[in-house]
Amino acid sequence: MTSVSALNHVYKIGLFGNHENKNEENLLKVLEIKNLLIVQIVQYKNSTISFENIDIDNLKLKNEPMSVVSNSNTRILWNGPKNWLLISTKKDLLKDISKVFKETDFAVTDLSHSRAIIEIEGPDAIEVLKKGCPFNFNILEKNKSINSTYNGIAFTVDMLDDNPNKIRLFALRSFGESFYHSITDASLEFGYRAL
Amino acid sequence: MLYIKCPHCGLRSQNEFSYGGDATVKRPELNKEVSDQNWDNFVYLRKSPRGKHLELWQHISGCRQWIKVERDTLTHEIFKTLKANEEL
Repeated sequence: MTSVSALNHVYKIGLFGNHENKNEENLLKVLEIKNLLIVQIVQYKNSTISFENIDIDNLKLKNEPMSVVSNSNTRILWNGPKNWLLISTKKDLLKDISKVFKETDFAVTDLSHSRAIIEIEGPDAIEVLKKGCPFNFNILEKNKSINSTYNGIAFTVDMLDDNPNKIRLFALRSFGESFYHSITDASLEFGYRAL
Repeated sequence: MLYIKCPHCGLRSQNEFSYGGDATVKRPELNKEVSDQNWDNFVYLRKSPRGKHLELWQHISGCRQWIKVERDTLTHEIFKTLKANEEL
């Protein structure tokens, strides 16, 4: 079966907005990310086992607000108390995850098909987010993540890097196109290149 | 706009939360006889205080947890926030 990306109908490569006479280096970059493994891991409330010793792709779960544990392939985002979102380029990791997390203690759900993912990069990336999200982005450092809303659309922000800002945004697939329009509309002021 | 300190995530905008009603209402005990009057009171009867009020809110666009918020309905001042299983 052919997989169609969430932004297939709206995503267009090129230069847009106020990009003229601007240094290409400082221009905002917008990119749709596809083919990531996205798994939600939730420990049941009545579960008493310790999750601290569980190892996935050499990473351990951390139950700390906004925290992200990561290596070059995989990132595990704190989503809520005993609730994590695992993002990985290794699609076959799902088998390991299902083995490691017992059904009696954890709910493991593959959400790979259900998110639209946009990566924005550049010095003005934070300004774009500030336009639609009420969160204080001054406190969001590298390897931190939050859930919030962007113009009313629930989304997850994963701060990949802060020099220059490189941010991955996840929204529900069904809101993906509206979300993409919101983000790109906010980016027009700065000028952006869709890669 | 209100800012509510989620006990799990920290200070967040009211936009991320959904109001869940009076947090002081107690459900009648399970497996015990409940009079129609008591059940009606539990389901429908709510106070509408002018002043301090303990409320339930859900951090729907954040950690998705239910929390308790002690708020002044007159001034909107928030005095305290608690996890759902905590008491004032």
